[in-house]
Parts: sequence; C-alpha cells; structure tokens
Amino acid sequence: MTVTPTGRTAPAAPFPGAAPRRARRRRVAPYLFVLPALLLFSAFKIYPIGRSFVISLHQTVGGTERFVGADNYTRLLHDPLFWTALKNTAVILAVQVPVMLALATGLAVALNSGLLRGRTVFRLGFFLPMVTGLVAYGIMFSVLLNRDYGLVNWLLDLVGAGPVPWLTDPLWAKVSLGLALTWHYTGYNAVLLLARLQSVPAELYDAAAVDGAGAWASFRHVTLPGLRPALLLTTVLSTIGTLQIFDEPFVLTGGGPDNATLTIGVYLYQNAFKYFDFGYASAIAYALAVLIGILGVIQFRLLGEKT
Amino acid sequence: MELERRRVLRLGGAIAAGAGLTGLTACSGSGDTGQGGTGGEKDKGKISVWSWQGPAAEMKALVPEFNKKYPQIEVTVEDIGNPAIWDKITTGLAAGGQGLADVLHIGVDYLPGYVEKFPGGLADLAPLGANAHKDAFAPGLWQTVSPDGKRVNALPWEANSAGFYYRADLFEKAGVDAGALQTWEETIEAGKEIKAKTGAHLLGIDKPASQADAANFFQMLLQLQGSFYFNLAGDITLDSPEAVKAMTLIKTMNDAGLVSDLAGGWNALMSSLKQGTAAVLSMPTWFGGIIQEQVPGEAGKWKVRLPPAVRRGGSTAAMVNSTHLAVAGSSKHQAAAWSFIEFVLTRPASQVRIYRGKGIAPALMAAYDDAVFHEPSPFFGGQKKGEVFLEALKAPSPAFNYTADYARALKLVTDAQSKVLLKGADPAKVLGEAADQLGRQTGRKVSR
Repeated sequence: MTVTPTGRTAPAAPFPGAAPRRARRRRVAPYLFVLPALLLFSAFKIYPIGRSFVISLHQTVGGTERFVGADNYTRLLHDPLFWTALKNTAVILAVQVPVMLALATGLAVALNSGLLRGRTVFRLGFFLPMVTGLVAYGIMFSVLLNRDYGLVNWLLDLVGAGPVPWLTDPLWAKVSLGLALTWHYTGYNAVLLLARLQSVPAELYDAAAVDGAGAWASFRHVTLPGLRPALLLTTVLSTIGTLQIFDEPFVLTGGGPDNATLTIGVYLYQNAFKYFDFGYASAIAYALAVLIGILGVIQFRLLGEKT
Repeated sequence: MELERRRVLRLGGAIAAGAGLTGLTACSGSGDTGQGGTGGEKDKGKISVWSWQGPAAEMKALVPEFNKKYPQIEVTVEDIGNPAIWDKITTGLAAGGQGLADVLHIGVDYLPGYVEKFPGGLADLAPLGANAHKDAFAPGLWQTVSPDGKRVNALPWEANSAGFYYRADLFEKAGVDAGALQTWEETIEAGKEIKAKTGAHLLGIDKPASQADAANFFQMLLQLQGSFYFNLAGDITLDSPEAVKAMTLIKTMNDAGLVSDLAGGWNALMSSLKQGTAAVLSMPTWFGGIIQEQVPGEAGKWKVRLPPAVRRGGSTAAMVNSTHLAVAGSSKHQAAAWSFIEFVLTRPASQVRIYRGKGIAPALMAAYDDAVFHEPSPFFGGQKKGEVFLEALKAPSPAFNYTADYARALKLVTDAQSKVLLKGADPAKVLGEAADQLGRQTGRKVSR
C-alpha cells in the first residue's frame, strides 16, 4: 500500500495556481444556471413519478399503507374493467386517429392551396376548437347530442331521420366521442402538417409537373414524403393524447353507457378519486406509461426516417 | 330491529377502533388532532365552510344570526357545487388535510369511506361536546355518524325519507286511486292505465347511467325491503333475493314501456318535470321543494305519499339518504368550527329557517315541533307534506351499512341496471356478476 501525500505540499492538478479553479467554475456554471429549473422539475415531475411508483406497490387498508409488491399489477391483468377500458381506448386509436389525420392532411393541403381566398380566416377557424376549454366543449357536445332536446337530433328530425341515441347507446356513444375528438383536434393537426407543407420546395412540384405528374401523383410522390416527419409527429402526439384521453368521455358520457366509453384515463380517475384506491390507480398509470412508451417506439420504427 | 342496530354498533366500534389505532401511527403529520378539542377557541377564529348550492345558501343566510352570538368568529361559506365537492374533499384528505375548509358538508355515501380511508382526516367531535346531542336526531342517524358510540365523525343534518310525488290530475284522469296503491306491482298496473289514458310514463330513470345517482330508484326499492348492497357484517348482498326482486320490478316497468329515459342526469330530470313526461317522481323528502320551484304553475295538481311497499304488508318507510357536517382534522379552529355546526344543526330555529328556505328536511327531531311542518301545503293539494315524511322518519328503519366500498358497488349496480334497461338482460344474472366482481375488487365475501 502506498501512502499518498495529501495537503498543501502536493499539487492536485497539473496546472498550479488559478487556472484549475477557473476551469472548475466554468464547468459548474452551466449547472448552476439550470439548477432552478432542475429543482422545479425534480419537485413537480420526478418526485411525483417516483412517489406514484412507490404508491403503486402499496394498498391502503384501514387507513394504513401496506406493501403488497406487484399485487396491484397482477390485479390489473385480471380486471375485466381495465381490459374494457384498454379495448375502448384501442378502438378510438384505431378508428378515430387515422380518420382525423387523413382529414387533417386534406385540410392542410387545402389551406396551403393558392386557389383558396381568405386563408387566414379558414386557418383560424379550424384551429379555434383547439383553444376551447376541454370541459366547455364536452358540455357543448352533450347539449348538442342530447337525444330528446339536442340540436343535432332536431336537425335530423327536420330531414325525416329518426332520433339517434347519441349518448345513450353503447355504439353511438363511441361514435359521439369520436366526433367530439375529431372536431377538437383536427385543426390542430392540420396546422402542424401545414407548417411542414410550407417547407416542401416548390421546385419539386415543378419538376413533378414537368415529368407529367397529375395532382394525385404529385400528392403521393411529393407531398406525402415531404410530410413524413410531420405525420410522424402528429401520429405520435395523437397516440399519446388518445391513450391519456379523459375529459371528453368524463364530461360527455361519464364512461357509460355500460362502460362503452370507459377509457384508461377515466378508469384511473374512478379508482383514485371515487374508490380512494390510490395504489391501484398508480398501477394503472404505470401500465399506461409503459403502453405509451411501447407504442411510441413502434411508431418511430415504422414511420421514422430510415438512415 | 334493535338487535340489528346493536350489531352494527359493535361492528362499527371494531372498525373505528382499528382506524383510531392506525390513525395514531399513520397521521403523525397533520391529520389526527381530534384528541381533545385543542384546535383554537370556541368563540374566536376564522372558519370556512364547504357545501353546495341550496344548503350553502341557507348556511350563508344563518351567518348574521350566528355572529350575534359569536361576534368574533368570522365565517366564510363556499358553494363548491355537488358533485365537485367530493373530489375536492378527497384530494384534500389525501394530501393530509392540506387546503381543506374547517367545516365540511358530507353525504352518507361518502362519510364511511372518508372515515375508513383517511383516519384522522375528520376531527373527533366527541371531546367538543357532540355526545350531548346524541338523542336529538332521527333514530338510526347517530350510528351513522358515531359507529362505535364514542368517536363522533360528524353531526347529522338532512334526513331524507323515500317519497312518492305524483301528478294527482293524471291519476284521476286514468281513474286510478293513488292513495290505495299498496305494492309496486299494483303501481305498475296503474302505470299501464295512466300510459293508455294520458300518454304519460309511470316514472323516469337515467337508463345509460350518465350520472352516478342513476340507481337511486333501485336502491330505494332495496331499502324499502330493509336490504342494501352490503349486510351489517360488510359482506356483499348485491344479488340477494331482495335485490333481484327490485331489479325485476324495474325490468317489468321498462318492458311495459312505463319508464322514460332521463339520460343526461339533472337537466333531463328537470326537463321531464316541466314537460310532465312522468306521472310519478319517487324521490326523497328534499325533492318536494324542487318540484314547487320548477313548476309553480302546477299547484294543486301534485300530491305526495310514502312509496308503496315492495311486498304486500312490507315497509313504506325508508331513510334513503342523509347529509352531515364534519370538522376537518387539519382545522386549526376546530372549536370555533364546532360552535358553528352546533348553532346550525342543534338549534330548532336554524333548522326551521332552512326548511322554510329550501325544504331541506332536518334530522333534528325537535325542529318538527314547529308549525311549519304541520301546515297544509297549497301546492300539494292542501296536504300536510311535512307530516307525511315525519311519519317515515319516526318509523323504525333498519341500519344500512354503506362501507368504504359503496362507490364501487354503486358503479357496478348502475352498470347492471343499464344492461337490464338497454339490453333487456336478466336481473339475477347481471346482479350475480356484479356481486362476484365486487368481491374480486374489494376482497369482501359475497353472501349468498
């Protein structure tokens, strides 16, 4: 064993004097600058995330938290309502998201067209639903879609179509939810796609035209490839949004009828704030986070740029 | 009946004792301060009160009078709204009492859950003197607020009995004597006559359960039979013969086209009331005030009685709901908060004033000595409406064990009811499935 000289006599750094201190200060400074943000991030993001994992391993029995290991997670696997919620969410993901993104793409192309007059007004009009408060628009739809007193059924009645049980029939309730979501988010996605569309070089369209491409061919071979990164972004964002969906079913249908619109978000809320089962609710939250992660990776693999 | 009560007392005692013990260890931080009324002074302080719409307005109106007696207590009554108040209280309790008001208005459906899941979240009112009022309230209510007879979690306010409000003019037109209906089966037959002659439905139910209280009618039919979602031992009785009988009655009504759909909750109910879609509103005491408020032009057309029995000769009285005022365990002014609760709930004058204002029926029996409860009501055809419900309040009613899992049970019941009403499912089958699922979710035994 060698005894290392310590203290004043032994220089710790190869450069004596002030230089190392300045270098150290330079190395520390950036961390000091981000420290406030880091502290806030830790307090309001990292801590709750960690804490909720701890909670997900516990169950409250008679007011005391009891460690139950993975019990809440295994319970999740055998809970028919969780699977119903997952299935409902998957249906929205598989049906509503593609329809909405197709609509948004069409809308973006239309809004980008030089033939359209008053483009700003249209862009604003389609984006406005996005800034409407979630609860406010949920209530608005529930009023519009009311079976007996709603405007939509009144209009349908005018053209001789019978009243549609929008919110009271399991299938129609899903349709209503899809309609509300599409109304709310299509404009937002269209604006994201439009931004990307405007960066597609006009020369490419000119070249395509010279090569004799029609409108469809140039859409397929120029517009769509140009939109690829934006489509990836909107798909991933919509997937995350759909998996977390809460406000719309909560306000519109309360998850009913007979759990037809129960989403994972609503189920999580019910467990935490209706049944005071915070451990189980946390387990649902973690299951959801894992699911979002997996789907995100898959989408990046499928749609991401191949380099 | 008495035996059953004693059993629930003992059972409640065990639960509360367990809760108390764990509370000592678990709530060292902010929760359990209900040990000796140490929170502030009895006649000084600044307190806030959380309630909703009508009751909040009535409490606000009482503040000036309260301040004559307690000039140094500053009271702020907040209308949080119902159901928003439940989320707000739950979040506050889960956060160890942070941000809660001093006085909390809590329904019977939430009280056991709060007490069991958040020990110490509500202050013990016994050291503040609550036990002095033990015998002042309607029978059965003290065990709701003080299951062990020692710790007092809240003080009773409203006591709502099941009622049967009906359009006397429609019954007359159909040639049916509403007063003579003894059972719900007879009522269904009467409903068919009414539908044929007037076009009105017998009653309305929120079929897809767009709101949590869509099963109120089912629950009332259960309670009229002295049954509930859980028995006194806490075992699940969701598919008891009584429950199947209740759901079968609902299915029979629905299949006969006698049930209008009240999807959309409160707003739909109000529209239906104004349009006269249903001949009967089988609602608790407090709803009489709502009818009067919503359709003042129909004075004289309405009457009220207690609901028919489920089985011939069975009970027509059931206490279907009660609300209470509690003090937050985290309150720094528990003594002042108690002063306010005592003023509002144990003084007949306060309760009489609230009844006059909003028709909210008090649990405080002494209040019923006032003439207001014995006056003929011009709206209800000169009937003494107050006496109808007083009769139910005095009747022996079995104890109902809401347990901490009531919300889960209610959810499963409303789902089962939607399956019956929307898809024609078999009552016994859906209730059996609901009972099994509740058992899996809560670990409780299904009693069969």
